[in-house]
Amino acid sequence: MLTDLRVSFFLALRSIIRGSRGSLYLTILIIAMVFTNMIFMPSIILGFIKVAEDQIITYQTGNILISPHEDEPFIEDAFSLQEKINRIPGVLRASVHYGTGVTLRHKGYSIGSTVVAIKPDDERLVTDVYRKIKDGYYLADGENDEIIIGIQTSGHKDESLDMGPTLGYLQAGDPVTVEYTNGVSKVYHVKGIIETGSYYADQGSYITWDELESVYGKKMDIATDIIIKTYPDAFEPDVKTQIYRFGVRENVQTWQDILEEAMGRAVQNFAMLNSITIVVSLIIAVVVLFIVIMIKTLNSRRQIGVLKALGVEKNIIIHNYVFQVLILTTIGIIVGTVLVESSVAILTVYPFRFPDGDVTPVVATSDLINNTIMLYIASFIAGYIPAWRVASEDILTAMRS
Amino acid sequence: MIVAENLARTYDMGKVIVHALRGISLTIQKGEFVGIMGASGSGKSTLLHLLGLLDKPTGGQIMLGGIDVKTLSDRKRTRFRLKRLGYVFQDYALVPELTVEENVYLTSMIRGTSKEEYQAQTLAILNRIGLADRLAHKHNELSGGQQQRVAIARAMVNKPEILFADEPCANLDSESSRNVLDLFRQINREMAQTIVMVSHEDWHMEYFDRVIILRDGLIISDGKPPEEFYQKGCNYS
Ligand SMILES: Nc1ncnc2c1ncn2[C@@H]1O[C@H](COP(=O)(O)OP(=O)(O)OP(=O)(O)O)[C@@H](O)[C@H]1O
Ligand SMILES: [Mg+2]
Repeated sequence: MLTDLRVSFFLALRSIIRGSRGSLYLTILIIAMVFTNMIFMPSIILGFIKVAEDQIITYQTGNILISPHEDEPFIEDAFSLQEKINRIPGVLRASVHYGTGVTLRHKGYSIGSTVVAIKPDDERLVTDVYRKIKDGYYLADGENDEIIIGIQTSGHKDESLDMGPTLGYLQAGDPVTVEYTNGVSKVYHVKGIIETGSYYADQGSYITWDELESVYGKKMDIATDIIIKTYPDAFEPDVKTQIYRFGVRENVQTWQDILEEAMGRAVQNFAMLNSITIVVSLIIAVVVLFIVIMIKTLNSRRQIGVLKALGVEKNIIIHNYVFQVLILTTIGIIVGTVLVESSVAILTVYPFRFPDGDVTPVVATSDLINNTIMLYIASFIAGYIPAWRVASEDILTAMRS
Repeated sequence: MIVAENLARTYDMGKVIVHALRGISLTIQKGEFVGIMGASGSGKSTLLHLLGLLDKPTGGQIMLGGIDVKTLSDRKRTRFRLKRLGYVFQDYALVPELTVEENVYLTSMIRGTSKEEYQAQTLAILNRIGLADRLAHKHNELSGGQQQRVAIARAMVNKPEILFADEPCANLDSESSRNVLDLFRQINREMAQTIVMVSHEDWHMEYFDRVIILRDGLIISDGKPPEEFYQKGCNYS
């Protein structure tokens, strides 16, 4: 058996090395393109999802988001909960948010928006918004009468970049009027403009907790949400379990939960699209290899008959062609991987630009492995069937052809 | 030794039944150089295919080296051909992607011979046929006569019990034919190789120890080639 396989491999190698160069290169090229096609589409989609993930974690919710129980408007005893959370191993810091609907006015412009009260020292440890101040400065603890506003609310100088209603190019240093729902109306000094690249974060505006308390005229110990940053090596679901151990009634979600909720449908559609691409690619690969081997074997019918007459087992002949296909597939996959990796390298330098950020393809090793296995199985079948058909022919019929 | 008894081969073509062989009995001893001759369509190839286990008779019996070949499974027939029989065909049929040397030792690889051994055997046999300097050549770099000699080397490398050849000179000019026939005779004489060869050229008779002439699927003469055949040529059909 082993000897037979060795002979098959020997014949396959000779046939590839000494056979027609042109068809060899073309076949490898097609397999390489098929492989690239199978990998590339999912990698772009993965890149897209990765951007969404990064932005959610970096600018919106951190790694874990606590929101009020559905029957309640607020999280009560927010700061004692924050303290407890901060002590959980793996947690870097929790930041308490109080968001409220407001109307913002500047010059003739007026828009409805949300202002979020934060403790800037906590918030700095949880989101990266403080790094993304385009104009002016980030808030500091204890400050009053200051506000920072996202660029999609303040407005760009170039209006075409605005994605919704704005305050008409509000800049750091300008005054802006904020009308709260409790009737308080107050003019703030714009301390900074936020530009993160994430549409969600760039819509928001922030004031300090002290400012919030002065607007409401009382100590505030309630929150609309608490966001939590964990250490990179922490496993979010474990931290989530720990939080539930405190007996909180609140809703605790990891970023994975949030993403699944937000993109579940989209991810399903993407998966569907991927499957279609892969099936089409595999069919192309099978058909091409099938034709290549069919032509090879039909051209060698007499040859095959003679080999069988000399006492060469049918299986040695079939395996010869199967090995040829597998060798072609291997080279094709190697070339395809090089193509994929170079396009990824190019797209990392020149990424696709989307409203929510730059998308670079992300190649998952599992995709590489799965597609490689699928391609091997497909090519095995594509080589085996035509080889089997010709090799099963009666010796004299084959020799007479 | 080959013993065939009352061999028949018919082809059922639906409306007509072709009787290619109608009852052939013969015995070929070890070391004989036998020519099978006769007009086109007389059944020469059919007989050779049956004796060489490439086809199955519709009647009669074949014993090869004491074995009734009917008892062999298809797999065993293949092994039998690989280990104990050799073939040379009209069109040489070398594997185009293999060199001379590789063509010669291909079946030895399958037989499981060690590399050193089959390389030595290959060199020895190619030396004998005068092509040892062409080891690494491909078939299209050789003349027809040279290719046929490589095919003979391929058949002979294993020292088969019987060597079958179906019109091995049909594609060759008379000088190359003579070279090839000389080689067959040399192998027959020096190695006591049993050879069964189909031919339709009268002058080939001078090489054979024994000539079996067929007509319409029957033996019409069997014996030493009469001298006048290869001196004058004769219309035996
Ligand atoms: N596969 C087949 N189907 C039908 N008839 C066949 C088949 N093979 C051979 N025959 C018939 O059997 C007879 C003998 O054929 P065979 O090939 O043995 O002749 P041959 O003596 O070798 O002739 P040639 O000198 O032309 O090679 C012929 O009538 C031929 O038509
Ligand atoms: Mg014939």
